[in-house]
This record gives sequence, structure tokens and C-alpha cells, in this order.
Amino acid sequence: MSAQDERTKTAGSSAVLLICFLVGLGASLLVGWVIFPALLYSEKEQPIDFSHVVHVDAVGDCEGCHYFRDDGSFSGIPDLSNCAECHEEAQGEDPEELKMIQEYIEPGKEIPWMVYSRQPDCVFFSHAAHVKMGEIECKACHGMIGESEHTDTYEYNILTGYSRNIWGKNISGLTSNTWESMKMGDCGNCHDEHGENNACFVCHK
Amino acid sequence: MSLGRRGFLQFCLGAGAGITFSPLPWKLMDDSAIWTQNWPWTPVPPGGEVSIEKTACTLCPGGCGITVRKVKDRAIKIEGMKGHPINDGGVCLLGMSALYKLYGGARIKGPLKRAGKRGEGKWEQIPWNAAIAEISKELNQKRQDGLSHTVASMTGTDRGTVSQLFKRLLAAYGSPNVFTAPSLQDSERLALKLMQGDYASAGYDLENARYVVSFGASIIDGWGSPVRAFRAHTRWAEKAAEGAKLVQVEACLSNTAAKADTWLTIKPGTEAALALGLAHVIIKEKSYNKAFIRDYCLGFEDWQDSGGTVHKGFKQSVLKEYSPDAVSRITGVPADRISVIAREFAQAKGALAVWGRGKGTRPMAVHDIMAIHALNALVANINKPGGVTVLPDVTTVPWPSLVQDDIAKSGTKQPRVDRAGTDAFPLSESLFDQLPKLIKGGTGEYPLSVLLVHGANPYYTEHDRTAVAEALDRIPFIVSFSSRMDETANHADLILPNHTSLERYEDVPTPISSSLPVMSLSRPVVSPQCDTRHVGDSLIAIAKSLDGSVAESFPWDDYESLLKATLGDKWSVLEKEGYWKDEGYTPADWSQAFRNASGKFEFLATTLLAGAKSAKDCLPQYSRAKLKGEEFMYPLILIPCESMRLADGPVANSPLMTKTVADTVLKNDDLCVEVNPKTAIAHGLTDERMALLSTPKGKAKVKIHLFDGIQPGVVAIPTGLGHTAYDDYLKGKGVNSNDLIGMIEDEASGLDIAWGSRASLKSI
Amino acid sequence: MKEEHKEGVQGHEGGAHGHGEKYKFGMVIDLDKCTGCGSCMVACMTENNVPYKKNETNKLDSITWMRVFKATNGKPYPDTDICYFPRPCMHCEGEHGHAPCVSVCPATATDYNYETGIVSQIYTRCFGCRYCMAACPYHARYFNWWDPVWPDDTKESLSPDVSPRMRGVVEKCSFCFHRFQGARDKAYAEGRREITENEYQTACTQACPAGAIVFGDLNNPEHKVHELKQSPHAFRLLERLGTNPKVYYHSTRSWVRRAGDNYLTNERSK
Repeated sequence: MSAQDERTKTAGSSAVLLICFLVGLGASLLVGWVIFPALLYSEKEQPIDFSHVVHVDAVGDCEGCHYFRDDGSFSGIPDLSNCAECHEEAQGEDPEELKMIQEYIEPGKEIPWMVYSRQPDCVFFSHAAHVKMGEIECKACHGMIGESEHTDTYEYNILTGYSRNIWGKNISGLTSNTWESMKMGDCGNCHDEHGENNACFVCHK
Repeated sequence: MSLGRRGFLQFCLGAGAGITFSPLPWKLMDDSAIWTQNWPWTPVPPGGEVSIEKTACTLCPGGCGITVRKVKDRAIKIEGMKGHPINDGGVCLLGMSALYKLYGGARIKGPLKRAGKRGEGKWEQIPWNAAIAEISKELNQKRQDGLSHTVASMTGTDRGTVSQLFKRLLAAYGSPNVFTAPSLQDSERLALKLMQGDYASAGYDLENARYVVSFGASIIDGWGSPVRAFRAHTRWAEKAAEGAKLVQVEACLSNTAAKADTWLTIKPGTEAALALGLAHVIIKEKSYNKAFIRDYCLGFEDWQDSGGTVHKGFKQSVLKEYSPDAVSRITGVPADRISVIAREFAQAKGALAVWGRGKGTRPMAVHDIMAIHALNALVANINKPGGVTVLPDVTTVPWPSLVQDDIAKSGTKQPRVDRAGTDAFPLSESLFDQLPKLIKGGTGEYPLSVLLVHGANPYYTEHDRTAVAEALDRIPFIVSFSSRMDETANHADLILPNHTSLERYEDVPTPISSSLPVMSLSRPVVSPQCDTRHVGDSLIAIAKSLDGSVAESFPWDDYESLLKATLGDKWSVLEKEGYWKDEGYTPADWSQAFRNASGKFEFLATTLLAGAKSAKDCLPQYSRAKLKGEEFMYPLILIPCESMRLADGPVANSPLMTKTVADTVLKNDDLCVEVNPKTAIAHGLTDERMALLSTPKGKAKVKIHLFDGIQPGVVAIPTGLGHTAYDDYLKGKGVNSNDLIGMIEDEASGLDIAWGSRASLKSI
Repeated sequence: MKEEHKEGVQGHEGGAHGHGEKYKFGMVIDLDKCTGCGSCMVACMTENNVPYKKNETNKLDSITWMRVFKATNGKPYPDTDICYFPRPCMHCEGEHGHAPCVSVCPATATDYNYETGIVSQIYTRCFGCRYCMAACPYHARYFNWWDPVWPDDTKESLSPDVSPRMRGVVEKCSFCFHRFQGARDKAYAEGRREITENEYQTACTQACPAGAIVFGDLNNPEHKVHELKQSPHAFRLLERLGTNPKVYYHSTRSWVRRAGDNYLTNERSK
């Protein structure tokens, strides 16, 4: 075997090795960035296709349905009774509305909404502190949900059960808007920026 | 070949590098950490709108106002009601346990019919109409056979509309045999009837009392209305600088004794002698209230009746028999201390003598209560601020008159099977503890055929429990209305489960020992969780299903309408506030207070003159208790030791209450008894070691707990354990003290007045 | 950001240098009034979703955030005396918030809140090393050796305000911090920054039928605890360890006060 051959062979094998490396790199990037997120999150549709736009037009603002109770607690997603106040009888001819009346309001069954922003049980979050005292807009955390005409598909993490909105739609965890992720770090950073208390019990229970 | 290996390595390197620059490892790490924090079996309690509902606690006779915190329709916490005249925001651990009775174990989820042998725990679920039909068939049959009087009922109390409904049902049906679980109130009513002419229990103005001598009453261990007594004690502690004082007379260092300003250690069962010793000093030193004694009392001095016979008065009797030295010999209290306490008592403003051993749930000798109450009369602290009064009841709207057909009339005229109200015990109203003796001995007038039990658990709570169980076992048909599977329900033939206290309406009359008329309303704060029915509704349904005129006495549609009608104009206040109180109430003036024929406070009970064996029997006196067993076999004295942390009545402990019990009371399943280190040395006992506790009534293996605060020669056994029913959180833990203590009969009343037993302890 | 909002932050900033906190919550327990009934324990356990086992007689693994201890004066009958000590978490301030448990936690699962003076415990962060339990001189911390079991329908009575714990973590009294959060929410909703004394009371304080427990802001002269803690009969448990606890006791009996700090028989009290 000549040196020339040797070199050609080495160069050839280096190229092959590089290709192997790149294939590995490419495959793993594909796995990490595409396949893994697809496996990690499952999807569910909300029980009723709900239009925020229609309701904000009719009610006027967020607080019409998502209101503060007298004790300062936040009502969150409205109960069936709140819905029934207007929808005891059909307001229009939307099949989704009829479905809600037939399947939930008439039998008196709560609608099993899936909450995009649901935090785990160990989290204490005070809407009063942020909205009433901090004067932070709903949008700052919940984004443009008030402008949605249809409910988004609810994606949840199959390991943790968390809604995908907690980590954020972007699997990299990078965000450009405050409402794109709701992890503890996001809360902490905002508290730091505003000189707010970051002791554990402020947000945990 | 080598390329393959190297290529593979390169591939892996590339994959490694790629993965590092992908979110996979970092996200997976985060997620798996979160995964370990959210096990699916760790419950996540759902949130929702919080509401606070006002109601009243019915788990003991204390009558506290409570509020229930709810999240949507779940009851999550019980708190004391602020501003309630009895407890003003305070709440005890039993009251908070109502949640466990609601959601916890041993609940009876619907009507049950016995399927196996009695007590075996085999049941058949039946629908409500079948259950009502079952009982009405039984009761109609008895009526047809002319045996209506053999049907009996037993309730935990005789106050409030539910027990009145039982009374009415039996009267309309035709039986005199209405039983109430024996209580201190039974004997206290007799004593007050004899001395003041009122068949009523006592109320104490504890808050304003300033010198309280408690003859064994565990003021802060659950006596009377527990939370109110606690608050009164707190007030005394705050007023200590102004001379407020509590003297506790007791054989062992109870919590009350420890908190008292003076702990008078005494031989168990001799409290009445001490009371008379105090009376002796007060009379001898003439420091009693002379005006009251002269104008409003009878029998203090020697007394001549209309027939001309002269009866020796209280003064002579006490001066002769109860000198401090004589009393010291009986009680073990030094004579000089007796004199000191007597002087302080006589001089104090708001001096109050209080009776009732332990929690005050068991009857006492009528003459013992008379002896203690005589002290209140000597200082004229009756119907005065800081004094004793008769329990003021809240008036309600009377029910339509009772309708009785011939069967009912002849049935109710039969003598009671326990001989209460007959020549044997003319003064007593209900003598449940006589039953075992009578039924077992065959000396009862007739055998009982049906027993309806509500709010009572005689298979557990009565002394000499084995004998009680044997006697009850002979009753062919027992119906329980219990909402939980207690010992008695477990022995029943039919169970018509009641709603629990948080699911039902009930009136709560003036709590025992209260000096102010207070009515509270217990009401449903959650909808019924099981297929249960209000006991009042069951009774109305039973009545309506019976033959003859029975149904005519029950014109109400249901219990709720009955309650509304009974409470009349108070209903709206009760609905809104949760309680009603008579602000302007003041006890009757002395000239109106005493409702005897004489119109006076009677030291010498003239009612007893006719039947008394000797004139002395009409006076307050101490008689030595006749304890069963020989001293050489049973050299120790066993006394029950009651605690707030152990409910020992018809309502049992919740797991959280049992959790608070010290490991010197219950260790694993072993019950610990308290003995003095001196007793331990004398009887060869070792701390934390097992021993055999024997009494003439039974034996039990117990653990020894050495405690300096108990009198040498005395053994204290905790009450409230040793259940054979309920769930695994209670069943089989410890020993039931009632198995070891036998009955002692009070001659005057026929009530069981046992406060202890002879006993022996042997190391094993 | 509103102007007064800044004021609310001062406590936090001050706290970084010393105990300049906004609130300093503490308790004064009157041992002359305490009857040892145990209602505070049950109130605490129902409020805070503390579970129970079938056998709770091994007190080392029996979780009681509030535990009532019984002390005796050691004298023979009839000079014996007993006293009950209700023991919540002492929320030690130590020096500048260096509570014994906080300093040793490798997971930062427990911290000292300079705004309230309350020592937290975050169950999801705790990994169960139990250093804090070893460090706590009051045995106020408890380990979950088992997963909690809620028999029958008792899950229905769980409070959503307190997160139920899982096996393998440490838990302890939080001075019912969720009640502080609730009170503050109400105040915020009404446009207030401050909460009143009555608005934030712990479950044990509220339940105590004898009124023996008083809770409030030790820094606020208008709160009852401020005056009570200055009584000559007030003392703290194991004071000489320098843990600087925020729970004070009150007793007119000198043996009780001495028992609170393990004085030797012939040693002179401070």
C-alpha cells in the first residue's frame, strides 16, 4: 500500500467520519427539536369552541366573566352558573352554543375546561396583588387570548401534566413577550425587576 | 471494520453534540423533576368560591355556635362563632371533628337490616320504605297483642325537639318506657327539686364568680359546656390579681387541679364530706348570710312540722357530725386547710360551689349534691351574679295536644320497667342503669320487646358494660338511628341512619350549666352525602304508618316544618344569627325563686319526709360509698380520668383527636394507667411495663405510667378508648374503662353513682 | 408602578441588611390560660391538611405542626405541678434571619421572609435530607415517611389553600401563611396595602377555646403581642441558644419559666 493510497484512504475515511458525525448531529437535532417536542406534548380539544371576541363584545371587558370575589380571590374560569346567566336559552344558532346548553347547562354539569395557564398545586398566585395593586394588564401574562375567536388546542406535557403554555410554545424556552411562558423563573425575574419580594412563601403554598 | 466502529463513534459524538444543543436533555431534566413533585395520588383539593355558614354544634351538650367554611359545596373547616354567647369564637377539638363524622369512616350509608347474627356486622341494604314498613309491622303487632308498653326508647338527652318527638311517639303509641342516657343532670334535678322545688338542672354564672370551689368538677377538662367553662377560667386567670380564685378538690392532678390556685387532694368519693366540713366552719363561725337563712330558708335550724314533730336541722347535724377533725379523717384533707378554705369561701364575693365529677356526665348521689349546694345557700349565692341558678330554658310554641286511643292510654299507665316513678324510686324519671339488674335478674315487671335508640350508645358508655350488653341482647328488636356504626348500631336489628350534625336541622336548647337562656340552631350546611334521613322525619313517618290514633299526634309534614312551628317567632332570628338569647333575663328574686310548698330553700327536704328511713335522710349528708370487692384482694382504688382529647360519650373520637393523645395515655394499642411511683414500689410495678388491672367487674392488660400527680393507692384509667366498633382509626385501641367499673346504686334516686372501683395491679 | 408600591418594598430591602421588615409576626401564648385541651392541634391539622395514620402513638413520626407538650415540676405528690407548652414553629430570627433550619438547607427549600419574619417550607423543593430537622432545637419539623392517606370521603374536607404533601419531604407550621395571603388579597381588592390585626390570625389562635394564644405583629405597638411580650413573665423557649424565636410564652409560675430554658437546679435564671 502506497503513501498516496494511504492518504486518499485517510481523507476518504475522514470524510466518511465527518459525514457520520454530521448524520449523528443532524439526527439528534431532529430528535431534540422536532420529534421530542412532538412526543412530549399531547393534544386535546376544549369541550366547547369558545369565542372570546364575541364575549368581550357582549360583556365589555375581562372582569365581566373573570371577576374578583368580595374576599379578594379571583374567580378564574367562570362556573356553569355564570354561563347559565346568559345562556339559559340559546342566544343564537351556533351549534357550539347549542351543544353547551344540551350537554352542560341542562344537565347541570360543569364544563371541563382545560386551563392554559393552570399552575401546579404548590403555587400561590394572587391576581389581586398583580391586577389590583400592581395594575398589570391581563395581557401581560395571558397574552392575546381575549382576541381569540376559537379556542386553541390544549397541549399538555405527558410527563408533568402541565399545560404547554407554562413552558411556552417555543421549545427552546426563548421568549420575546412576557406572556409566552409562565415558569417560576419568569415570575422571579419580573419580581426582581420591580424590586418585589422573592421569598418562597410569596408564591408557594 | 475499523471504519464502522470509528464511524459509529463519530455518529455518537455528533448525536451527543446535537442533543446538547437541543432542548431535550434540559427540558427532560426539568420535567422529570416536576414529575416527582406531582404524584397522581397526592390529592389536589379543588378551589372555588368560599362561603361561611352559621350553625350550632350538637356533638356534646355544650351548645356552641360554630361556623363552617365551605369551598363550593365541600365543608372544609369548622370554627367557633364570634359573638355567640356561649363560646364567642372558641371551639373544641370534638366540635372540629364534625367533618370526620360527615366524610369519614364508619358512616352508615343507608337503611340496614341485620343479615347475620347480632353484632356480627352482616347487613342487608334495604330501601327506606321497606325499613319504615319493617318497624311499623313490629310496632303494630305489639299494639294488637296488648304489649305496646314493652316498646321502649332511649335518647342521649331529654331536651330539644327530637327527644320530645320520641317521648310523644311512645305516649301516642302507648308506652311509659322513655329512657334517657343517665347524666349528672338526672341527679342534679332531683337535688334542686328537693331543695328549691324546681325539677331543673343547675346554671352557673361562672364568668362573674370570683371564688370557685369545684368538688371534682373538671372545669377545664370538659365539664358542663366546655368552651364556656374554659373562657370563664381564662377570666378568673385575668382577675387573679383582684382575688379571683379556683379551688379544685380532686384525688389526682387533673389539668383543672394544675391550673387551680389551690389543689385540695382528697380521698376519692369523699367530696360531700368536705363540703359539709366547710359548712361546719362557716356555721360555727357564724359567717353565713344570716338574713337569707332567716327569711328564705327552711330546715337550717331545727324545724317543727305541722304535725308537731321536731326535726333536727342542718345546723345541728353539721355541727355535730362534720367537725374539721372528723372530716379530715374521712377525706384526708388537713383540718386547718378546711378552716382556711371555709373562711375564704364565706368572705369572698361571688363564692360558688360546683359539683359533678370529671366532665360531669355521670350521675352523683343526690345527697352529695345537696351537701355541696348547701354551701351556695350558706353564702346566699343563689340567683345572684356569680352564683348558681336553675337552668333557664327558652320557651317555645307548645305542640298540638296529644291524642291517645284506649290502647295508648292503658299502655302508658303501665309501670315503667325500670321502676322510675314507682314506689321504689318515686322521684326519678329514668333509670336506665337499673335495666341490666332487672332484665337479667328477671325481676322486672315485664320484658321489653323493642328498643329505639337515638343519640346514645349504651353498649359502650354504661358502667358494667358486659352486664348492660347482656341485658340489651335480650331485647328481641333493637332499632338504631345512628349515622355511624357505633357499638349499639352494630348490635341493632334495624338501622335507620340519621343525617350527621352538618346535614340536618336541630334546635339546641340552653346548654347545660348556662345561666343565660340561649337557643341555637343547628342546620344543614351541606346536602346529605348518603342515603340518610333526619331522625325526626323517620319518627314522623313511623307514626303515620301506625294503627290507631298514633298518627293524629303528628300533624306535621316533616321535621323542618315541626321545628319552624315550634320555634315560632324565634325562627327568623335563629336563621339569621344562628342563636337567640334573652338579653334582659335575670333570675327570679329570692321571694319567687323557691317553688317548694314552703316557698323557701329547704336544707331539710320536706318532700322526703314521708318516705325517709330516718329524719336524717332529708338533710344533706355524706354516706360512705359501698365499693364492691375485698380490700385485701383489691388494695387499690381505680378512678376514671377524663380528658378533652378523648370523647367518651355517644360521640366518639375522630382520628385527629386520637392523634393528639399523648403516648403516655395510648401507646400502640395499649392503654396506660397512671400510678404514683410510691404505688409502683409497693406493688412491684415498673414504668412503661405491662400489668394486669383487675376489678370485681373485669380484667384488662394495661401499661404502667408513673405520675407524681396522682394519690398513692389510686389508679387513674383514661376514658373514651376501648371501642369495639367504628373504623380502624379507633377500634381496638386501649381499654374501655366501663368494662372495669361496676354500678353503685344511689339509695335516694336509684341512679348509678359509681365514681370508681376497687382494683389490683399485678406486673406481667 | 405606583408610588406607594415602593414603600411596600422597603421592608425587603431593609431586610437584606437586618430585620427592618415590614411585619414581624409572632405569638404570645399564656400558659396560665392554656388548658392543654389540644384544640389548637386539631385546628391546625384541619386547616393545613395534615394527614393521620391508624397508629399515631410513635410521636417521632406523628406530624403535628402544633404540638402541646406537657411539663412537670418533678416534685412528688402532692406538690406536683404540670404545665402545657403548645409548640408551633418558632419562626426563629436568629441573627438577621439565620434561623437554624434555613442555614443548613442545601435545597433552599426553606427561607426567611424579611417582609413577614416567617420561615417558609416549600414541599416541592424539599428533597428530604432532613438536615433542618436535625438543626431545629424545637422538634418543630416533621418528615413524611409515608404518602398521606385520606380514608373514605375525607378528601372532600381538604383545603385548597394549603398544598397536601407527598412522601419524602419535611413540613412544619407556617403561621398559616395562606391566611396572610388571603387577608392581603382582600386588602388589595379593597385598595388597601395594610392588613389589620384581626384580618390575619392563625388557625390555632382563632380556635383556642381558652383564648391563650395571641398572634400579631411584634413590631406594631398597636398589636396586643407587642405589649404582652414585654411582660416580666414572658419568656421564650431555649432562649440562650440564640435562636431568637418569635413565639413568646407567659407564665406567672417561675418553675415554668425556668423549664422553658432547661435551667439546672442550682443555676440562676437570667
